[in-house]
Amino acid sequence: MSDPETFLQAMRYLGAGLAVIGVAGAGAGIGIVVGGAVQAMARNPDYTPTIQTNMILGIAFAEAVAIYALAVALIILFV
Amino acid sequence: MSAHATPQRRFGFWRWVWLAVMIGAAGLAWYAGGIWKAVPPAVVLPAEPAWPGLYLAPGIPFTNTMLSALLASLLVFGPMLWAVQAFVRGGKDVPSGFYQIVEMAVEFFWNTTQSAAGKWAKRIFPFTMTIFLYVLAVNLFKMVPIHETIGYTKLAHGNIQGYSTVVVGGVHLLDGSHPYTGEHAEAAPAEGEAGHGEAEAESAYWNSAEPCENCEIVPSIRGAATDLNFTASLALITMLMVQVFGVWALGPDYFSKFFNLKTIVSKPFFGLMDFIVGLLELISEIAKILSFSLRLFGVIFAGTLLLAIVSTLSFGGAQPLVFFVPGLLVGLELFVGIIQAYVFSTLALTFMSQATVSHHGDEHSEAH
Repeated sequence: MSDPETFLQAMRYLGAGLAVIGVAGAGAGIGIVVGGAVQAMARNPDYTPTIQTNMILGIAFAEAVAIYALAVALIILFV
Repeated sequence: MSAHATPQRRFGFWRWVWLAVMIGAAGLAWYAGGIWKAVPPAVVLPAEPAWPGLYLAPGIPFTNTMLSALLASLLVFGPMLWAVQAFVRGGKDVPSGFYQIVEMAVEFFWNTTQSAAGKWAKRIFPFTMTIFLYVLAVNLFKMVPIHETIGYTKLAHGNIQGYSTVVVGGVHLLDGSHPYTGEHAEAAPAEGEAGHGEAEAESAYWNSAEPCENCEIVPSIRGAATDLNFTASLALITMLMVQVFGVWALGPDYFSKFFNLKTIVSKPFFGLMDFIVGLLELISEIAKILSFSLRLFGVIFAGTLLLAIVSTLSFGGAQPLVFFVPGLLVGLELFVGIIQAYVFSTLALTFMSQATVSHHGDEHSEAH
């Protein structure tokens, strides 16, 4: 606490670390999406292209949340 | 043609040359890695001018990311145009070489567009294909090693770690094994008067031929997608075109998606709900711009950062890892770059094809 600059830097690192916790949810989400897609593709392989496209879209949406967390962390660290 | 006459050689000539080059480069890196440590990057979020004093217009610098985007599009669209023209002029029926790759990519995307957009595929396709190729070109061009390494020297300021340079033939080389350990003399007054000090630091380019003691390198060329301006402009154009396609397909009726006043009188309570849902739709349209731009920017910037940080780790002195681990991550980055280009264009395609479909049709059928 005697050195405010160092304290601020330490808090920045802490904040960035806390911000990135949000990535966990996206990881679970992507797992669920891909799990469902693989099951669907195993049951009817004929629809694989459609399922794959939708799967990638779903992954992109789930991933976007993780990217927000990451962007927040990057901004805390480097701006 | 002469393939039948001469026996097919199992191992060609050039692959041995490439193997020798790769082994030589690895050996050189191993040897040089002991002398010159890799310099951890000075992470700066906004793009910087490609060269001091290089301006497009007063107040608008020609940034390093612009240079990268320009070079990437020239390097990709030039050969593509040439290949297509050569194929059309050649009059052959069977595609071959580079043109075949171009045709494969276009055909794959055409099929995707057709299955998603139906009769609107012809109008939507040029747009999504261009986005795919542009983002792909930019993301792959980012992996070329000239990025983030060539630039001009600047006095380090703020909390950026400076390094002393070695001058070889008039060129400043940043030396990672000689970090600047002195006190940040010019950083301290800059804290006091923020505005003035920052402006002073911005202009502190190192122009002399003398070795600099406390310098950082501002890259002249940097991956275009690591600039939020690039991704945000792509996202804005995309969402604007989504509205354009919506109006094109449905006429002014398209805007009733956002300002739904149709049922507000006939169904008092649920009509109001519909109106609020329409307003939410408007907000989600703005959120799409945000998510489009932040996704591409975040993934590419984080990837660049990851590569830069991993290549400056020491791995506890395990020298081989310093060269092989970044190599693996480069593979991951290539994959991510391709996937992000695909995701961006597929999402654009989905939003556009959704906008061309009237969704009041099924609402009416539900009501009946």
